[in-house]
Amino acid sequence: MIRDPLLRAWGALIGLSLGATAISLWHWPREVEAGAGMLVLSLAWLKARIILTTYLRLDAAPFWRRGFAISLGVFCLLLLGLYLLPGLL
Amino acid sequence: MSDASVFDDLPGDLMIWVLIVSELLVFGAGLAAFLAVRASDPAGFGAAQDALYRTGAGVNTVVLVTSGALAAWALRLREDAQRGPARLALVAAALLGVVFLLIKGFDYAGKAAAGITWDTHPFFTFYYLLTGFHAAHVVAGVLVLLLVAWKDTPRNIEAGAAFWHMVDLVWVILFPVLYLLR
Repeated sequence: MIRDPLLRAWGALIGLSLGATAISLWHWPREVEAGAGMLVLSLAWLKARIILTTYLRLDAAPFWRRGFAISLGVFCLLLLGLYLLPGLL
Repeated sequence: MSDASVFDDLPGDLMIWVLIVSELLVFGAGLAAFLAVRASDPAGFGAAQDALYRTGAGVNTVVLVTSGALAAWALRLREDAQRGPARLALVAAALLGVVFLLIKGFDYAGKAAAGITWDTHPFFTFYYLLTGFHAAHVVAGVLVLLLVAWKDTPRNIEAGAAFWHMVDLVWVILFPVLYLLR
C-alpha cells in the first residue's frame, strides 16, 4: 500500500489513463460503444478530480474541492450529452 | 467580526485560480463546440480520428502527469527547505514538458507528411486549434517551471506548479475527448 498521497495520485493517474486508452482501443460492438464512451468520460472526470485534490492541494479546501468536482461533473455530463447526440438524432 | 472568506481557503494566490478557471472555460468551450459539430457528421469525425497518433498521445499523458507529480513534489521539497532537490525536480518537470512537445512535434510532422492540414476536415480544424493552443501553454509552462527553479521562493514555486497542473488538467480532459471517444 502506497502511503504517500502524491505517489498514490500519480499511480492512479497513470492507471486511469492507461485504462481509458485500453477501453478506447478495444473494438466494442456498436450497441455498447456509447457505454465505453461514458466510461472514458467518467475516467477523465476522476483524473481531473485527482489533479485538483492532490496536485493542486484542494484536499485542504473541501468547499472548493466540492465546487470544482460538481462543476467538472456537470461539464462532463454536457460532453456526454453531445457525444451521445448523433445516436439520438 | 471576522474577515475570513472562502477565498482564503484556496491554496496559493487567488489570481492563479482565476487563471485556472478562465483556461478551463476556454478549453471547455472549445471541446463542447467540437462535440457539437461532431454531432452533424459522426462518421466523418470517426474516420478523421483514426488518423490520430493515439499511442503517442497516450505516452504524452503519462509524460505530463509524471511531470505534474514532479512539480508538486518540488513544492513539497522547497517547503521542507530542500532547495537543491526542489530545483532538480522542477528542471526534470520542465524536461518532461519538452519531451511532450517533441512527441507532439512528431505527431504534427506525421500529419503534415500525410497531407493532413487544419482544413482537411472540421475534425482537424478543432484538433490543431485545441492541441496547438494547449502546446502553447506547455511551452509557457516549461518557461515558468525554469523561471521558478531559478527564483525559487515557495510562493513562486507554488504559483508555477499550479500553472503546470492547469496544463495537466486541461490535457486529461482534452485527450479523451479528441483521441478516445469514438
